[in-house]
Amino acid sequence: MWSCLLLLAAGAHPARAQANYFVRVGAIGASKLLQDFITSPITVKQSIAPMVAFGGSLPVGISYRAGVEATVASGGFHSTENDVDTDLGTLRTGTLTAFLEGPVVERLRWHVGLGGIAYSAAEESGIFAQGGTTGFLAAGGADYRYPVHSGWDVIASARYDYHRFTTDELEARGFSHSQGVGRVSLSVGIARGLR
Amino acid sequence: MSVVTRRLLLGAAALGALACGDIASPERTDLYEWRLFVPGVGGGTDTLSFFWGRSRLPVRIWAEDAAGLPEFAQRAIGVWESGFLYREFRGEMVSDSSTADVLIFANSAPNLTLGVHRLHSMAPECSGATDLEVSDDHTQLLVPIRIFIDPVLPEDEPATQTCLALTTVHELGHALGIFRHSPNPDDIMFADPRVEAPSPLDRGTIEAIYHYPPTLEPVRP
Repeated sequence: MWSCLLLLAAGAHPARAQANYFVRVGAIGASKLLQDFITSPITVKQSIAPMVAFGGSLPVGISYRAGVEATVASGGFHSTENDVDTDLGTLRTGTLTAFLEGPVVERLRWHVGLGGIAYSAAEESGIFAQGGTTGFLAAGGADYRYPVHSGWDVIASARYDYHRFTTDELEARGFSHSQGVGRVSLSVGIARGLR
Repeated sequence: MSVVTRRLLLGAAALGALACGDIASPERTDLYEWRLFVPGVGGGTDTLSFFWGRSRLPVRIWAEDAAGLPEFAQRAIGVWESGFLYREFRGEMVSDSSTADVLIFANSAPNLTLGVHRLHSMAPECSGATDLEVSDDHTQLLVPIRIFIDPVLPEDEPATQTCLALTTVHELGHALGIFRHSPNPDDIMFADPRVEAPSPLDRGTIEAIYHYPPTLEPVRP
């Protein structure tokens, strides 16, 4: 991943013409962060949040590209118990993945990535009383590119990523294992390069 | 099937395997009895329990501007708030005592009146008491709840400051719903509190209180 970053940052000469950069904005939704039970089930979930994704890639072989993608999202999270929601504040997530992409049909390309995710709550309280958390992340999805101008594409992306979630506070409170969290995002943006 | 497709399917299968299993909640057995047992209205015993429901949050707390009580009260609010995972309790300091849900006075408790249940803390450097006034039919807790914290030794002595700090946390614990003392000296809700913050047992107890159905409803007369 870091070698890709360095290559992109340096604009490595042989690949410069084919280096591709992109930025997208969209929304991301996630499955529950936590399921607890005290006297009745309690679920903690993130709200659908706005997100920004950006990154770049370089060609690998004839049809494939490798690159890095970073995303940042910020939104609320809440607990639900007996159909009553409680606002738990603002939660920010950031991801960094190294990815590989290739063609499916015409302008549609597949995308798989591996990397990490970091959680940071605006307030260090509750399940984040001992701070945020990080974890490994696997991602997959598809990009649809539509050329609009010389060297510029409009890009629409769908992503699914998966990671395991827990926090130091939850572990200190006796929660064991971790929660599988799946996230789905849809975003649109612009990309420069590819051709 | 191409090599790439096969690898993608394998990757998806691995991801699916990873997805198995949820986080496991702890067994919440670390708690002590918090309910108040009083002679029943119709004979027998009534069991009284209470917490500040979400519609009553944040709980408004007023502290007399003496003996550093406003600072100790502010700290005590933070200490109890941090005991919860899901924001079950929130408190805020208010400057107008007439709007407060909890009043904290810097003096010793007055003579007990009918219908008031008093919980004492008995640290040597300062004394504390919380008065819980319950309606005759044992269904309502009359607010504001009154807390009395009295420095027995000179206020500026470090031991007194420590005592005031932990006694404020202790008494606020009563006002939050812990209507009894813990039998464990390591808990802030022990009758003669010695620790400065809630223990895991205190936290387990207050957490349980805010998820069990209460018998008392807070009412302002």
